[in-house]
Amino acid sequence: MSQPAESSEYESLTINDEGLLLLVWPRGAKITGPSARRAFDEVNRICGAVRRPMLVDMATTKSVAREARAVFGEPSAASRIALLGRSPVDRVIANFTLGVSTVPCPTKFFTKRDEAMAFLREGTGDHIS
Amino acid sequence: MTTSPDDDRLEQLVDLIVRLAAGDLSARLQPSEAADSVDAVITGINLLADELDHIYRTLEDRVAERTFALDQARVELERLALNDSLTGLANRTLLGDRIRQAMARADRGARPPSVLVLDLDEFKTINDGLGHSAGDQILVEVARRITGVVRETDTVARLGGDEFAILMPDAVEDDALRVAERALKELQSPLTVGERAVWAGASIGLCFGLRGQSADNLLRDADTAMYAAKANGRGNIQVFRPEMHHAARQRLQVASELGPAIANRELQLHYQPIVELDSGRMVGAEALVRWAHPERGLLLPREFMTVAEDSGHIIELGHWVLQEGISQLRDWLELISQPFQLHINLSPVEVRWPGLASFVRETLHERAVAPDRLALEISETGLMTGDVAGLEALTELRALGVGIEVDDF
Repeated sequence: MSQPAESSEYESLTINDEGLLLLVWPRGAKITGPSARRAFDEVNRICGAVRRPMLVDMATTKSVAREARAVFGEPSAASRIALLGRSPVDRVIANFTLGVSTVPCPTKFFTKRDEAMAFLREGTGDHIS
Repeated sequence: MTTSPDDDRLEQLVDLIVRLAAGDLSARLQPSEAADSVDAVITGINLLADELDHIYRTLEDRVAERTFALDQARVELERLALNDSLTGLANRTLLGDRIRQAMARADRGARPPSVLVLDLDEFKTINDGLGHSAGDQILVEVARRITGVVRETDTVARLGGDEFAILMPDAVEDDALRVAERALKELQSPLTVGERAVWAGASIGLCFGLRGQSADNLLRDADTAMYAAKANGRGNIQVFRPEMHHAARQRLQVASELGPAIANRELQLHYQPIVELDSGRMVGAEALVRWAHPERGLLLPREFMTVAEDSGHIIELGHWVLQEGISQLRDWLELISQPFQLHINLSPVEVRWPGLASFVRETLHERAVAPDRLALEISETGLMTGDVAGLEALTELRALGVGIEVDDF
C-alpha cells in the first residue's frame, strides 16, 4: 500500500517557435525531489538569462513528492507556468502543488492545451533579459 | 463517484483512513491506472498524509530541540547558582551542600571532613593599587593554585571577595595540614599581573570536623581559625581551638569599641626618646599609640591594630595619631632649638589611603611645623606588594621634605 520510492526523469525539454518552454513528464511519472531538481536545473541552463513562460505536461502523473513540490516553489527561469493535466488525479496533484508551495510566478492548472498556451502567451511580455 | 462491484478501492481507502487515524502516518494507497475520481481522492489523501507526516516530524524535531535547549539552560542555571562566575569554583551554597554530604558520610563511618578557610593578606592593596581587573586576575590565579594542591575528592570554593575554602572529605589530619602548607607556599610565591609581580600571601584557618558537628559550625570554626592566623601576623596556618572563639568575640568587641574610643579620646600617645649613641644627645622621639581602655586597662597596639586595619578604623586612628603627634612636636619645638625629629609609624593600609600625603601636608601647615621635623616609618612588608598608590604617596611625602624610613624586620 505504501508508495514506491522509484523516480521518473522528465521526458523532454524544448523551446518552441514562440519561445515557450515545453517540459514533458512521461506517462505515469513519479516525480521525486532529485528528478524535479534535475528538470529545473536544465530549465535554468537552456534559458540562460532569459525568463520564459513554461508548459509542464504532467498528464497521468502518479505522484509528486513533497521535496519535488519544494523545488517547484523555488524561483527559476520560468516566468509563468501552465500545468497541463487530464484526469481528476492530475488536478488534485497540480492543485496540491499550487496550494502547499508558494509559487514564485503565475501558475495555473489546465486540462485543455489551447487554454494553457493562451495563458502562457499572455505572459510573453514577462520576458526579462 | 461510482465503482464496479469488483472494484475494492473504496474499501482500501477506508482502510487507509483507519490506519492514518490510528497514527500510522506512513500509510499510503497506490492509485489505479484509471486515474478517475476515486484515484483523485486516494492521491489527495496520500498528499495530505505526506503533509501531516512532515508537520508531525517537524514538530517532534522542534520539541526535541527545545527540550535539549531547556536542559542546557537548566544545567547552566544550576552551574551559575552553585559556582563562582569569576573563578568557576564552587560557591558558598555548593560548599555547604558538600560539607553536609561529607558529614553524613562521617555519620555512616567515614572520617569527618576537614575545612580550610584561606584569606588573602594583601588583596586589598593589589585591588586598590592596580585596579579591579588586576584583582580579578589575581583571584583567578589564586583559584588555579589552590586547585593544584588539593586531592581529587576535595572541593575548592570561593566564599566571596578574597576568601576561599577547601573541603577535604574523609581526611586524616596530616593530609589536611599538608594541603594547608602547600596552599600557603603556593600563595607566598609572586603572582604576575601584566608585567608586574605582586605578593598576595594568605592566612589559613584549618578545622578538623567532628562527628555530629553541623556544616555551618565547621565552616565558622575554620573561619575563626583563619582570623586567628591574621591576628598572629598573617601568612600562617592556625588550627582551630575552642578558645579562639573568645579571641574572635574580643576582636568583634574591639572593632565596635574602637570608633567611639577615638572620639572619646581614650587613645594616648607615649613617646620614646631617640638618642644619638655617639653624643648621648636626644635627637628625636618615637610616638607609640596606646588605648586606655576603661575596663581592660592600657592596651598595646598589637591588641587593636590588626582589628583597626581590618575594620577600616585605621584611617581615623592614623589621623588622630598624626594630629596629636604633630601638635606635641610643635609644643616641643618652641622649647628646644637643637635638631629634633618625631617618628610616627604608619600602617600599610594608611600608606595606600589616597589622601595621606595631603593630610600630612595640611596638618604640618596648620601647626606651622617644618616637614623635615617629621619622619614616617613603614614596615618593609607593607611595601612588598607592588603597591603603586602607596609608593606614590611616599614619594610625594618625601618630595615635601618629610623623612621616610622603612623598618627592616
